[in-house]
Amino acid sequence: MKAGAFRAVAGLTGGLFVAGGLALFVAFFAYQRPGSEPPLPMGPLGHYFAAFAGCALVGWGGALLAGARNLATGRGIAPLTALALAGLALYRMVGWFMGDYHALMGDLLRVEAAVFLVLALAFVWLRPAPERRVS
Amino acid sequence: MRWLATLLLGSLLVLDFFLPRIPIARRGTERTVRAHVPALADQVGRKLPDFAFEDLDGRPAHTVDLRGHPLLLVFERSVDW
Repeated sequence: MKAGAFRAVAGLTGGLFVAGGLALFVAFFAYQRPGSEPPLPMGPLGHYFAAFAGCALVGWGGALLAGARNLATGRGIAPLTALALAGLALYRMVGWFMGDYHALMGDLLRVEAAVFLVLALAFVWLRPAPERRVS
Repeated sequence: MRWLATLLLGSLLVLDFFLPRIPIARRGTERTVRAHVPALADQVGRKLPDFAFEDLDGRPAHTVDLRGHPLLLVFERSVDW
């Protein structure tokens, strides 16, 4: 039951991260087209870092997918994933606190922060137990 | 360790939920900006009101001292607004 829930959470999160990472990576190349109008006005530097974040997300998401397939791998990935998710939530909360980001995204920042924190709690509590080895 | 992580994550979740209810967290939100912009609309075209302020070097100044020549006023958000 717990293992199945961990597989579901890790698999779904990993899949979404891979998809989001690929989208960010593609956005960099789409921005290079002459006359392109990106949905978010990130500018050249923003797109540069978006592509970097996209590649990192593909790696992170891939690791989560591997963790969903192999629970021993998932046990190793879960704590740092929870920590990173808490970081994602924390900077969104600070972003909400600062008026600039709130003007762009409103309360979506707080909603995203709550989702990431709940996900982090799921990774903490659903973390697979260590394998028992019969000697 | 698991309970410590839960305590920290739970505290962040509670803070996230109550953030709009904390008075200091309301500064600079879109709601504040929207509330102020219409209030300023009828000020356009009016005579500059008299007020005192500090210039960039910290010296006291007054709008009366600025009369008699072209003037460009730039309002900018400071770091500690």
